[in-house]
Amino acid sequence: MRLLVFFAVISFISLSPVSADNTTVTEASTTPATKSALAAKSLLLDIAKISKDKVVAVGQHGHILLSSDGESWQQANVPVQATLTSVYFLNDRLGWAVGHDATILHSQDGGLNWHVQLYLPELEKPLLGIHFKNELEGIAVGAYGQFFRSNDGGKSWQSEFHQEFLLADDVDYINDLKAEDEEAYLDEIAFILPHFNGLVQDGRSLFLMGETGLLAKSNDFGKSWQKFNSFYQGSFFSVARTQNGKLLVVGLRGHVFRGINNGQQWQEVPTGTTALLNDIVFADDGRIFILGNNGMLLISDDDGETFTQRTQHDGKPLIAGLWFKGKLLAVSDVGIKVLVLPKT
Amino acid sequence: MKISLASRIEVALFRHKLFVLMLFVITSVFFLFQATQIRLDASFTKNIPLKHSYMKTYLKHRANFGGANNILISVCDSRGDIFNPEFFNALKGAHDKLFFIPGVDRIQVKSLFSPSTRFVEVVEDGFAGGPVIPADFQATKQGLAIVKANIEKAGIVGSIVSDDYSCAMVKAALLEFNPDTGEKLDTLDIAKKLEQEIRQEFERENITVHIIGFAKMVGDVAEGAKGVVLFFALAIAITAVMVYLFCHSIRLTILPIFCSLVAVVWQMGMLSTLGFGLDPMSILIPFLVFAIGVSHGVQMINSVVKKVALGLTPALAAQASFNALLIPGGVALVSDTVGFLTLLSIDIGIIKELAITASIGVAMIILTNLVLLPILLSYTKIKTTAKVGQLSEESAVWTFMASFATKGPARIILIFSAILFVVAVYKGQGLKIGELHAGAPALHESSRYNQDTFLITDRYAISVDYMSIIIETTPNACTYYDTMATIDRFQWRMENVPGVQSAVSLASISKLVNAGYNEGNSKWRVIPRNQHTLVQSIARVPSSSGLLNTDCSVMPVILFLKDHKAETINTVIDAVKTAAKELGSEHVQFKLASGPVGVMAATNEAVAKAQLPMMLYVYGAVIALCLISFRSVKATLVVVVPLYLVSTLAQWLMTALDIGLTVSTLPVIALGVGIGVDYGIYILSTMSTKLKEGLNVHDAYLAALKERGSAVLITGLTLAIGVSTWFFSDLKFQVDMGILLTFMFLVNMLAAIIILPALSAFLWADKKKVKK
Repeated sequence: MRLLVFFAVISFISLSPVSADNTTVTEASTTPATKSALAAKSLLLDIAKISKDKVVAVGQHGHILLSSDGESWQQANVPVQATLTSVYFLNDRLGWAVGHDATILHSQDGGLNWHVQLYLPELEKPLLGIHFKNELEGIAVGAYGQFFRSNDGGKSWQSEFHQEFLLADDVDYINDLKAEDEEAYLDEIAFILPHFNGLVQDGRSLFLMGETGLLAKSNDFGKSWQKFNSFYQGSFFSVARTQNGKLLVVGLRGHVFRGINNGQQWQEVPTGTTALLNDIVFADDGRIFILGNNGMLLISDDDGETFTQRTQHDGKPLIAGLWFKGKLLAVSDVGIKVLVLPKT
Repeated sequence: MKISLASRIEVALFRHKLFVLMLFVITSVFFLFQATQIRLDASFTKNIPLKHSYMKTYLKHRANFGGANNILISVCDSRGDIFNPEFFNALKGAHDKLFFIPGVDRIQVKSLFSPSTRFVEVVEDGFAGGPVIPADFQATKQGLAIVKANIEKAGIVGSIVSDDYSCAMVKAALLEFNPDTGEKLDTLDIAKKLEQEIRQEFERENITVHIIGFAKMVGDVAEGAKGVVLFFALAIAITAVMVYLFCHSIRLTILPIFCSLVAVVWQMGMLSTLGFGLDPMSILIPFLVFAIGVSHGVQMINSVVKKVALGLTPALAAQASFNALLIPGGVALVSDTVGFLTLLSIDIGIIKELAITASIGVAMIILTNLVLLPILLSYTKIKTTAKVGQLSEESAVWTFMASFATKGPARIILIFSAILFVVAVYKGQGLKIGELHAGAPALHESSRYNQDTFLITDRYAISVDYMSIIIETTPNACTYYDTMATIDRFQWRMENVPGVQSAVSLASISKLVNAGYNEGNSKWRVIPRNQHTLVQSIARVPSSSGLLNTDCSVMPVILFLKDHKAETINTVIDAVKTAAKELGSEHVQFKLASGPVGVMAATNEAVAKAQLPMMLYVYGAVIALCLISFRSVKATLVVVVPLYLVSTLAQWLMTALDIGLTVSTLPVIALGVGIGVDYGIYILSTMSTKLKEGLNVHDAYLAALKERGSAVLITGLTLAIGVSTWFFSDLKFQVDMGILLTFMFLVNMLAAIIILPALSAFLWADKKKVKK
């Protein structure tokens, strides 16, 4: 049993603006994605709901695909060929997608056309998650603790360095370095933080999950973070709250943890697998699915207390998924898959 | 002048005929000895157009990427599960045996038992890994369970282990030279070793061994080609019966067959003396030589017997026949020879060899059947009452056929021929270049080799139909993001081309490895922009993977295709060319092509390119020889026009029977024209003499039929029956060649006795009126 450890944090944040203006990103300088016959059958990395009747999936080569039935997919107009890792829609019009080369794309027409808000290939780092709480305020996170914030719907993005995620030893080291050598300091902070793997909104709270057992919660939209006391050394890839109000977090090597009392206590849920677990999906009927690599599908019908394995035969990684019109859709390296489920 | 030349040769030869005969005996003994030394000979490079730009690329990089000459051995357990000690013993045995066969590139031998077959797994603090089969492996239940788990982690299901775990693979590439002796690799010997030391050794009740690859295919072709001996015997027997029915004399039957066999012996002896072997692909040529020899022999017997019947002594009759046949027979055989020699213009070793083999053979016939045969005949007793042919000279058949040379029937024949020609041209446009069927095209679909091919492509996620696009760039290019991204983009475009099933390159592997380094998280499946990370992602890929050379200045993108049909290949080649132009630059060049399908693409292009020039040369030769011997444009026309019609019909036949234009069928077209012209030349040589004597076309044709008709018919039938025995061959390409040659021989014969006179009726019509 471990208690939550709260960090007072605001002072740790250093801000620096990054915007389309000072990095001179114009769409003319990027190569638009090409429409390809196999786009829906090749590596896709995230899938999200745009509306009750429409879903969007993103993946390699700047592929963004739209579908209203989960079977036929239409490719959107995308100005980049970067591999896109995550997509989020605020409503049926406004959506954002992020990916490698620190790319942020935005659509205002329900995903048909996209334009570049941020594109910084020279950073050599991918963005892995994005979230907007309203039409103006949004956060994008990524590898090596990248953290971008916008207050104008993505027109401009400011980079934030969240020092609270540094290890205790590193804090001193960084502070010393900052005093001695500004340049070395800047080099160091570019890669010192753990990867931020994604953002999940849960009511008023925002969850951040990442490398080396990173799981944190913010009640002020990411300005300050409360880290949960470490209960696992590996990476987390998704977090969600069950119907009964329990937290569920999944990560490396088949690890699933169930948080009781808002995460004051964590129990490991045995899964019987060592596959990397990517995503958590809730069905309308209360079942919980966990999607993993090597075709691993875990199913729970007791609010995540126990899971049974339902490995998909082809062994393809199930990278992200959602419940859509009574079906479990998943994306993998062979594109969209409609998963076969046992009868309930 | 022409007659006096033949006469001079005649006098010279027949005055010293005993001496000439002695020469023949001595030469024959020598060549017979040489012929016994001939060996079967097959090599991979002979089958490919070496000067084609694709093949230059292929040869340039073969040392690094193993090229297209691979061996795949799939060991299967018929109980459906490989995890038992018996299977692992057999697999290890097959691996070790293959490893030690001289000529196998030992670095590239890959199976579960090769040390390079490793697994890597992600754990919290990094990687864990090791060989799939641990050093302390014991084939116990426990040991096998560990191997099974390692196989899954290593991601080799579909390549080294079949999708359903019923088979495992041993792969190897062959060198061009035997490293022990430094000599050219004996492909047939490798094939024999694969069969004897691997299949026979390890195949038993529950274990089956499936071997594919060029060397094995050639071995099986050579094995199938041995059936040729049976066909040869059969052909000799049938031919003997035909000739006997023609001449009703055992002695006269034996002589032309004997002389033709002498021609075959000389041909083989000559080849052996010149240092050539006999390729399984051209093993049928000796029989063709035999059949052509007999057909000319029949003409000679026909002439001699007829002259004896007129009251000459056999010696004088033979001498006179020699004189009469030297020119038409010589022209016919020279045009055959030239027809074969035109094949030399094709840049594929095996076709060139076939051209040499065949033209030597036919040239030998000039000596054996136009010189030796009449000399032998001059010693033979022939009754003055001897008769040749089933049809008497006054037969109503000849009278009926002669009417083809009158304008009425001729008009009908010509109109009908014209319609046939138009239809054939139209239908013949569908003629496809390349192989049209799955599996090894030289062999039947039901053959063990093709069944093994189907099994392997069915149970593994690999295809034997792959093509490599070679990317030539600068040293260490694989450490530059831009180069790798370009390759990745190219690969993605190719994956979208219809007919491409999947693709692999260093770029796609580096993406997988990069994801592996990032905890197996698919979101990192990209080519790293950061150079250090990029280097890390490719550092573990050895050059033996065939995906890069030692300084990674050359990297292939391997495209796995759904089949090797000509249409599929063309679609992919076109797409590659377009993409190469758009994505390529001075520093990153996309070069076609290696891999089995790359070779096929080059061969198809070479065959397609050779078709027109070959036809021009062969027809040019025929036309030139006709002009020289007949000194008449009209005579040349009546010989060549029916010939061309038959060539066109043959293309229609190929289209209808789904026979593609390939290395084995292309020569048939040249052979068909070269040999098909014989009939026309024999008929016309009598006709033109008679026309010059003032006879009208009808009478001249009737005279030609009486003199040569039976012989032409018997010749056509003999040749056709001889090659039709190939229908029963174990080898698909021999069946195709047999069908085409039978068709060409029969239909050319018919065209010569039906269309030739009909054309003559119009061409010489004016002259006839003037004469009247």
